[in-house]
Amino acid sequence: MGDLLTISALESGYGLIQVLWGSSLSVSLNQSVVLLGVNGAGKTTLLKTIAGLLTAWNGKIVFDGIDITRAKPNKRIAGGIGYMSELGIFPNLTVEENLKLGGYFRTEKQNRKRAEDMYEYFPDLKEYRKKMGASLSGGQRKMLGVAKTLMSNPKLVIMDEPSSGLSPKFVKKVVEVLKFLHEREKLSMLIAEQNVSFIDFAQKIYILDKGQVTFGGDVEELKGNDTIRKTYFGISH
Amino acid sequence: MNLFAYTILAGIMYGIFFGLVGLGLNIIFGVLKMINLAHGDFIMLGSFLAFWLYDLLGFNPLLVIPVAVVVFFLVGVPLYYLFVPRLLKSKDPEMLSFILFFGVSQVIEAVIIFSFGNNQRSIPSNVFGAAGFDIFGQRFPSAWLVTTLVSLAAFAFVYWYLHHTRMGYATRAVMANRDEAMMSGIDVDRISAFVFSMGLALAAIAGVFSFFIIGAASPSMGPELTTLSFAIIVLGSLGSPLGTVLGGLIYGVAIMFMQSYFSSWADILPYILLIAVMLFKPEGLVGKAARSA
Repeated sequence: MGDLLTISALESGYGLIQVLWGSSLSVSLNQSVVLLGVNGAGKTTLLKTIAGLLTAWNGKIVFDGIDITRAKPNKRIAGGIGYMSELGIFPNLTVEENLKLGGYFRTEKQNRKRAEDMYEYFPDLKEYRKKMGASLSGGQRKMLGVAKTLMSNPKLVIMDEPSSGLSPKFVKKVVEVLKFLHEREKLSMLIAEQNVSFIDFAQKIYILDKGQVTFGGDVEELKGNDTIRKTYFGISH
Repeated sequence: MNLFAYTILAGIMYGIFFGLVGLGLNIIFGVLKMINLAHGDFIMLGSFLAFWLYDLLGFNPLLVIPVAVVVFFLVGVPLYYLFVPRLLKSKDPEMLSFILFFGVSQVIEAVIIFSFGNNQRSIPSNVFGAAGFDIFGQRFPSAWLVTTLVSLAAFAFVYWYLHHTRMGYATRAVMANRDEAMMSGIDVDRISAFVFSMGLALAAIAGVFSFFIIGAASPSMGPELTTLSFAIIVLGSLGSPLGTVLGGLIYGVAIMFMQSYFSSWADILPYILLIAVMLFKPEGLVGKAARSA
């Protein structure tokens, strides 16, 4: 198969409220996957369940050949999952501290070297390395979030709405950066978004609706699907 | 003038100790965003541990410190794993934590009264020598000096832990944002269990020395101490462990002035300070963001 991440019939939610009703999807090595869904579709719940911030009620998560359905979050992260939340950073820590925490379980030497890569990708961050995360602009925060996530050199990057809170100009920038990083770092990525501009570099697209995956395929197939075209490419965008 | 100088100096020593009284509550709040309503009862347990070890085995209170650390880590770690991860998964962890720790407080108090009676216990303050010591011509009991030094050492330890150890670094990350810390690969439960136990041990150490500042210990003194501690950490700033020193100092100097000049009003001081801070500087004197958590 060669799948890096396989999720089958995943059910999860908050407290008594079920949000995911048997979602299945997979990400292969070096593949960029975008998970599209409107607000409330369950994107965040799905990502949080993969990362271990929420417990799976049912179903199975296999990552890199290992069943991690019941693994503790820190084990999943150490095992190679990089997770970028919608917030993405520690606002009340400095840029440098954020990066260092991104590579928490790696050696100081590895972190220093990796931080140099990040400063090369994001020169802004180098300039602001002593500044608090909270003092950065919205776009810079996202860049810091991306850099922090990449610090641990994860096998799979999962991102929760990297476009949230950004103006269209910055959304375009984020898309470019992720596209560049996907090629440069050969990243495997799963990005949850409601903004269709992210399908630009997606090799596979899933659509999540009311807690279920209703579509899986490439861009051509997506554009050929009438209902989806109306939802995502219609008057709303 | 003499009374004034005495009041200031005694207030500073008291204040440093009261900082220690609030410290355990504040580091637990910093990491878990929960108020340990049984905090005062753990202080009381520390007092009783010190009393028994002194009474039965002749232990000097300084020797009780390592015992208290071991005992309260042995209690704290299982207590954490028993209660807190489940609480954190619930819909309203803050509210439930109030109810839970209130229950723990009641249980501790009841067990101690049931087992040993509702009697006051004390350790004579001449346990550190009867001579006393002089500062700027004012004479103070030796026990105050020892208590002040122990409290300062506790603060130095917490500072060193937070800023110069790897676990402390992880602890600051958990304090800043629990989920983000988890997603950085930090074993948040392990850090929390450690800090929770450290908070209980610090409360117990405050209890060991409370005889010399607060007076005799009784099994029912817990809730009042919890309120006092809460006032101190709100004054300093919730969730900022080192802000607790400032809260303690303000309370210590204020209580000394009250006792010297308006002694009959001294008991309501914590409540007055609490209300004043809430009205005029709700984020605490050194704090900013902790309250939003």
